[in-house]
Amino acid sequence: MVTFKDQLYAWRGVIFALFLRELQSKFNDKFGLGWAFLEPFVFILALSFFRSLLSPGDVHSVPLFIFMMIGLMGLQSLTTCLQSVSTSIRRNKPLYAFRQVQPLSAVLTAGFLEFFIKVVVVGLIAVALYLMGEDFAIHDPLLLIFLFLMLWAFSISIGLIFGIAAAFVPEVDKIKSMLTRPLMFISCVFFSLQDLPEKFWPYLTWNPLVHFNELARYACFESYGHKGVSLSFIIEVTVVFVFLSLAMYHITWKRVLSR
Amino acid sequence: MIKIENLTKSYPSKMGPQYIFRNLNFNFPTENNVAILGKNGAGKSTLFRMLAKSEYPDRGRILTNKAMSWPVALQTGVHPQMTGRENTRFVGRINNVRSLPEYEEKVQAFAELGKRFDLPVRTYSSGMRAKLVFACCMNIDFDIYLIDEATSVGDPLFRKKARLSLKEKSEEAGVIMVSHELDQIREFCTSAVIIDDGKLSYYQDLEEGIDVYTQDAANKKSLK
Repeated sequence: MVTFKDQLYAWRGVIFALFLRELQSKFNDKFGLGWAFLEPFVFILALSFFRSLLSPGDVHSVPLFIFMMIGLMGLQSLTTCLQSVSTSIRRNKPLYAFRQVQPLSAVLTAGFLEFFIKVVVVGLIAVALYLMGEDFAIHDPLLLIFLFLMLWAFSISIGLIFGIAAAFVPEVDKIKSMLTRPLMFISCVFFSLQDLPEKFWPYLTWNPLVHFNELARYACFESYGHKGVSLSFIIEVTVVFVFLSLAMYHITWKRVLSR
Repeated sequence: MIKIENLTKSYPSKMGPQYIFRNLNFNFPTENNVAILGKNGAGKSTLFRMLAKSEYPDRGRILTNKAMSWPVALQTGVHPQMTGRENTRFVGRINNVRSLPEYEEKVQAFAELGKRFDLPVRTYSSGMRAKLVFACCMNIDFDIYLIDEATSVGDPLFRKKARLSLKEKSEEAGVIMVSHELDQIREFCTSAVIIDDGKLSYYQDLEEGIDVYTQDAANKKSLK
């Protein structure tokens, strides 16, 4: 009889093997793994830097540079995780010949890898901020970490849903890239919800990423406030999507294998 | 013995589901080395992949207490950008081998790749890839090895070695093989299962099976 502990152990082994495989196959040029950290880091740093050059100052008491950085970090975490997770099901198709490897292991591996990369990027950004003399005390670190983990769980479940859908209807991939493009402009990345008149808020606040970004800024600077956004909305949406994606996976994974 | 119970398998298509097997009941023998014979599209590979649990039936189930290998075909699970060693380590990890370095060494020796074991697989010839995949599989202890034309590209010497090591293992392990080349099947197998029209039939004697299989094909041709 295979116990639950053995099962967990086997899963860990498979995910670890897939993780190493992903690292070895993805980053085997001269840049190596460094590129994975450097690219998002430079992107976020450069964009935030130029934006703060254009109009220096504070946005509702948050230095513009940090304001932009938090927004971009949230956006990048969602979009790259979504992209990588949703394509991981198809990317690892040849490996499903091994019965130990199930689509979910591929999804979790892609999710872990993105998470790991993003954690290092956050570290790099923190160092950069310190060197630039922009350091500040985070008001509520626990909330910030919680938000980050939530965003990660949310992104993986959305990615899983898109990945399963794309296994049955390949056109979903095209729709996905169309859907993610406007996210940059509607997720409060370079403006604050508080800049807009209150009557327009409902058009934006359906988007969980708005809540993630605004609350992350609040977690860093208490004075920024948390008008119009709520933590409970984030938790509810994440729980619903995690459940939905796992349910979808549970009823379809055997058919996904023969696609 | 592998027990197939009430198995139904179909693939979706534009013209509705295409049934490969409907309510199939069969006891798949594993005492001898078995060849699966059948025309193209009869469902050889499907059956094969279902035995390995790389795919699952729509309904019904396949019961066995034997440890099955993965379906060893050309290139299964081999990443062209990774070296032979990295690929070997991956297979070893997935299958939870006891000692990775030992496994690596055994595969390297068996596959006869020498120093090229540390080069990316994309620089290998197809024969070398086949050797690598086959070596990876043979160095893990399974009860049943599922082999899908993997050895056909190896050179005669390697084929001989493969046959010997399978013989050695056949005391405690069996082989199930899919191939179109009768010579190759004669080399490895002693009995046959023929798939025709979603039905399976077992022939204890390989030659008898091959006779039925080739005559069947000839008869059908003459009917047309």
